[in-house]
Amino acid sequence: MARQPDDKAAAKFSSEDSALIRELALLLDETSLSEIEIERAGLRVRVARNINIATSVPVPVQPALAPATAAAAPVVAAAMDLSKHPGVVPSPMVGTAYWAPEPGAKPFIEVGTKVSQGQTLLIIEAMKTMNQIPSPRAGTVTQILVEDGQPVEFGEPLVIIE
Amino acid sequence: MFDKILIANRGEIALRILRACKELGIATVAVHSTADADAMHVRLADESVCIGPPPSKDSYLNVPALLAACEITGADAVHPGYGFLSENARFAEILAEHNLHFIGPKAGHIRLMGDKIEAKKTARKLGIPVVPGSDGAVAPDQDAMAIAKSIGFPVLVKAAAGGGGRGMKVAHTEADLALALTTAANEAKAAFGDASVYLEKYLQKPRHIEIQVLGDGRGGAIHLGERDCSLQRRHQKVWEEGPSPAIDAASRARIGMTVAKAMQELKYLGVGTVEFLYEDGEFYFIEMNTRIQVEHPVTEMITGLDLVLEQIRIAAGGDLPLTQNEVTITGHSIECRVNAENPVTFRPSPGKIQQYHPPGGLGVRIDSAVYQGYVIPPYYDSLVGKLIVHGKSRGECLMRLRRALDEMVVDGIETTLPLFRALVREPAIIDGDYHIHWLEQYLAGQQPA
Repeated sequence: MARQPDDKAAAKFSSEDSALIRELALLLDETSLSEIEIERAGLRVRVARNINIATSVPVPVQPALAPATAAAAPVVAAAMDLSKHPGVVPSPMVGTAYWAPEPGAKPFIEVGTKVSQGQTLLIIEAMKTMNQIPSPRAGTVTQILVEDGQPVEFGEPLVIIE
Repeated sequence: MFDKILIANRGEIALRILRACKELGIATVAVHSTADADAMHVRLADESVCIGPPPSKDSYLNVPALLAACEITGADAVHPGYGFLSENARFAEILAEHNLHFIGPKAGHIRLMGDKIEAKKTARKLGIPVVPGSDGAVAPDQDAMAIAKSIGFPVLVKAAAGGGGRGMKVAHTEADLALALTTAANEAKAAFGDASVYLEKYLQKPRHIEIQVLGDGRGGAIHLGERDCSLQRRHQKVWEEGPSPAIDAASRARIGMTVAKAMQELKYLGVGTVEFLYEDGEFYFIEMNTRIQVEHPVTEMITGLDLVLEQIRIAAGGDLPLTQNEVTITGHSIECRVNAENPVTFRPSPGKIQQYHPPGGLGVRIDSAVYQGYVIPPYYDSLVGKLIVHGKSRGECLMRLRRALDEMVVDGIETTLPLFRALVREPAIIDGDYHIHWLEQYLAGQQPA
C-alpha cells in the first residue's frame, strides 16, 4: 500500500498513536527542538513548532537503508570513517552479507583470525546466488564491519585486514 | 499503486522521477555509481544504494546490481528514465521474471520499435506514412544501388539497430553509395553489434516533428500534440518547442489521430513518441521511442499533464487521465538543453560549478540536478539542465526565454548558454523558419538556406 499523506493517515489514528503525538508535542515543548519526525511500521508523524516552515530542508538526514536494524546504524556510521583505512576490504557488489556459508554454520572469520590471500571472508548473496568474497591479501582480521544478514552496497567497507 | 520505486538512472531525469514519486507518496530508492554519490536525487531519496564504479556498464547498465538493489530495498517497481536500460526489452523481461514492475511499455513493443526496420514495417501496417526506402535490410551492393536509384538520390544509409540519431551516413550521388554502405555497416557493427543497414530517402530540408502518445495498454490511447525538434547538432536535439511553428491545427489533428489510432491498435502501454520528418506538408515516420523523452517538459507545459506521474499511474494499472477531446494545447513552450560544453567548439567541460543561479518567475522551469558546488563528473552525458519556458504565445515565450537565458548563471564550467542567447535573437529562429540542417549550417557560419 502506498504511504498515505499525513491528513489521510490522521483518519486511521489509534489511541496509541494520539498518545504518541501528545508525547512528541510535550518533548517539543520541553526541549529546544523545533521539529520531531518519527517513522515506524508505515506510519510517519512530524510534529513541528511552527506551522510556517520558513526554511526548506535542503539536505534531509540520510536514513540508513530501511531493512537495516537500529543496531546496524552505529556500525554503518563507524564503517563510513573506515572506508579510507588502508586495510579495508570494500564490497565488490550489492547484496546481503552473511558471516557463515549457511545458517547455523560456523562463520568464515572472526576478529583475530589470520587469513591468507584469497581466503573466503564472507558470503554476499544476491538473487539467490551466493558469492564468496575473498581476502585481497594475507593478514589478520581486526574488524568486522557488517552484521550477519546486513544489506550492503558497492564499495561498502566489510572487513579490516591488517 | 507501487510501494517503492527504484530509479534506475541518474542526473536530471532521476530527480524528475523522484519528484513524481514524492507527489504520489511512493517511497524512492536512488541507485548510483561512486561518481554520483553526491547527486541531488541521491540526497533526496528515501534510500540509496551504491551499485558500482563510475563506468556505466558497471553501474547504471549493471542488471545484476540493479536487481540486487531491488532485492535488498524491497522495491517493487523500477523506473528506467531515458537512455541506459529504458529501451532494453530484455531488462523489462528480467524484471518481470523477478516479479518487479518495469515502468514503461510492454517488452514486445520495446523490441518491436527498437529494430528500426521492423518499426518502419509496423508503422506502415498501422497506416502511418513512412519515408520511402528499402523494404528491410540491404545486403549486397547490387541490391543497394538499384533500390537507391528507385528511391532517388540522395539517400541515407541507416543502421537497423541504431536510433537516437546514430549510425547514419548520407550518399549524395551514386558514386558515394558504396563507401557510405561500408562505413555505415562498420560503424553499426562497432556501436550496436549489428551491421544491418537499410536505405531511406534523404529529405533536403525537413523539420523533425514528433508526436507524444500515452496508452493504457488495453487499447486506449491519446496523442498530446507535437514537439518540433528540428534544431539539432550531430543529430542531438538542442532546442525543442511545441506547438511547431510549421504545423497548423488541421495537420496536427490529422497526424495526431493517425498515431493515436495506431497506438490503440497496438494496445500500447505508457508513454511513447512517434518521430517524423516533415517536408512540403507531408509527414514521414522515422522511428518510435518507447520511453519518456528528454524534451517531455515541452508537452507538459502546453497540456498541463505530468507525464512521469502518468507513466507511473498507468504502469500501476491506472486509466488515461483524459479523453482525446479533453486534451487541450495552451500557449507555447520552448526547451533549451544546456550542456557543459564550450559553446563554440562543443568540447566537454566537466568540473565544479562555482556559481549557480537558475532563472525563475512565471512560466520558467528548470529541470536540472546541479547545484552550486556540484562537480559534473566526466563519465556521463554533459547535460547541465533543461531550461523550459512557457508563454501564452510564441512571441511571449521567446521574450521570456530571452529574459531567462540572460538571467541564468552557471560559472566554473563552460556551458552552451551563449549559444542559446544568440539563437533566441536570430531572425530565422524568431520566425520559426528552420529545418534539421539549420543549426549545423548556422554553426558552420553559412547562411541557412
